[in-house]
Amino acid sequence: MSEISRPVPVVTEENRPFWEGLAEGRLLLQRCSGCGHPRYPIALVCPRCLSKEHGWEAMSGRGTVFSSVVFHQVYHPAFADRVPYNVAMVELDEGPLIMTNVVGTDQVTVGMPVQVIFTAIEGAVIHQFVPRDPE
Amino acid sequence: MTDIAIVGVGATPQGKLPGSTSLSLAVDAFIDALADSGLAKDDIDGLLTFPGTTAPEQGLNYLRLGEELGMNPLLTGSLSMGGASAGSLVQMAAAAIQAGLATTVACVFGDAARTGGSRFGRASGWGDSWGIWGMFGAAANSALVASRHMALYGTTGEQLAEVAVACRYHASLNPAAVMRTPITVADHQASRWIVEPLRLLDCCLISDGGVCVIVTSMDRARDLRQPPVRIAGMGQAHTNQTLGSKDWLAVPHQRTAVHDAYRTAGVGPGDIDVAQLYDNFTISVLLWLEHAGFCAPGEGGSFVEGGRIRLGGELPVNTAGGNLSESYMEGWLHIVEGVRQIRGQAGVRQVPDAEVCLVTGRGMSLNCANAMILTGA
Repeated sequence: MSEISRPVPVVTEENRPFWEGLAEGRLLLQRCSGCGHPRYPIALVCPRCLSKEHGWEAMSGRGTVFSSVVFHQVYHPAFADRVPYNVAMVELDEGPLIMTNVVGTDQVTVGMPVQVIFTAIEGAVIHQFVPRDPE
Repeated sequence: MTDIAIVGVGATPQGKLPGSTSLSLAVDAFIDALADSGLAKDDIDGLLTFPGTTAPEQGLNYLRLGEELGMNPLLTGSLSMGGASAGSLVQMAAAAIQAGLATTVACVFGDAARTGGSRFGRASGWGDSWGIWGMFGAAANSALVASRHMALYGTTGEQLAEVAVACRYHASLNPAAVMRTPITVADHQASRWIVEPLRLLDCCLISDGGVCVIVTSMDRARDLRQPPVRIAGMGQAHTNQTLGSKDWLAVPHQRTAVHDAYRTAGVGPGDIDVAQLYDNFTISVLLWLEHAGFCAPGEGGSFVEGGRIRLGGELPVNTAGGNLSESYMEGWLHIVEGVRQIRGQAGVRQVPDAEVCLVTGRGMSLNCANAMILTGA
């Protein structure tokens, strides 16, 4: 039986460090060299000061659930045998919001502390999050 | 207060219309609105359009429709803001007329979204698609809003159901509505999950149909067929960000849009007799009620309990059934119903002595918001 593949990252010059970082087990995001603002989504310029200068910095991987939903509807055939599954917005301790999955529990709540994990999918490594004990 | 009026509204039949196209529906809506207004085609010197989801020419929709209608307008163009397009285009028409760029503008929309192969379930996100994490479709964005609203304020699924029940009740009184069988809170609670915490009955329809709204100056409006409906106030505000803004899920730009409309009209929430609030999903109505100042932030859920937004309640909302039950015309029919309420032409759905109507629009899930205050002359 042929598998319908799920959406995979389209690696470009702009996002290459992000995806290579995940493959190495690091969550790298851009930090503006001009004003120090850490940013996501990946962008050509800093949305705060418009500087083009930036570095790629490893995030702590710690954050909290900003909001969380459970998909029951199948929108893409590759997810047909995965429903119900979680999609969440996680607010990283460093500030940025990212879209991800919280896995390893079916009790995901807003404000829950979470920690990044690195999950191999077909052709890429993506970030997901699992619950962590609050410090 | 502006000196601009809506003088014609038109709509095609709604729902499942096999064989219809974006173009055929836009044409029919335009002809219907002209007849409503008593204007001739040559009186129209502005043509603004929303291409919707099925117009193959997309951003060049104004050219395609204008050629079909044989028009040489002073002002024309297309805008793609999803459910905010209707309000934004009518406001652009009003501003252009005030600036002298045109005298009478038709704002037109046609979309065979139900039978024409629209795909509303695509992945969101620029650059790296959120589909990588299984994030697809419009419901998910509003589900994220609802999930956070529930966590912060204790909003419940039963409260969301009140919105669906009210809209369906109003649709049951509207012969033109697509979904007319009344539902209960229990029906809502028994409907399947789409993206939890949203169920099937939290979601708008997907419909074929067309709508047209004709705008001109109050001076011209006074001589036309229908009682003029004044665009007393208008406002719009947007966030072009998604994950880049911590406020994305709270849509505070809605508050700005409504309060600009209040300010320009010289009214406040206590003056509103009836409201047409953009309802892509039930949760959106709660946020509009909060942002429009009918209740405090976080209290939208308790506000809608007890039939308060039903006809006969304190603030009737979406009196024709809304996107949830009348038809998913991406907010265009909200303007039509606002006009009918102010004209006193809403039949059994008429809110007695309706003098001030708030109409809101929101598009691209959460990003684009606008509001208008409609009054009599």
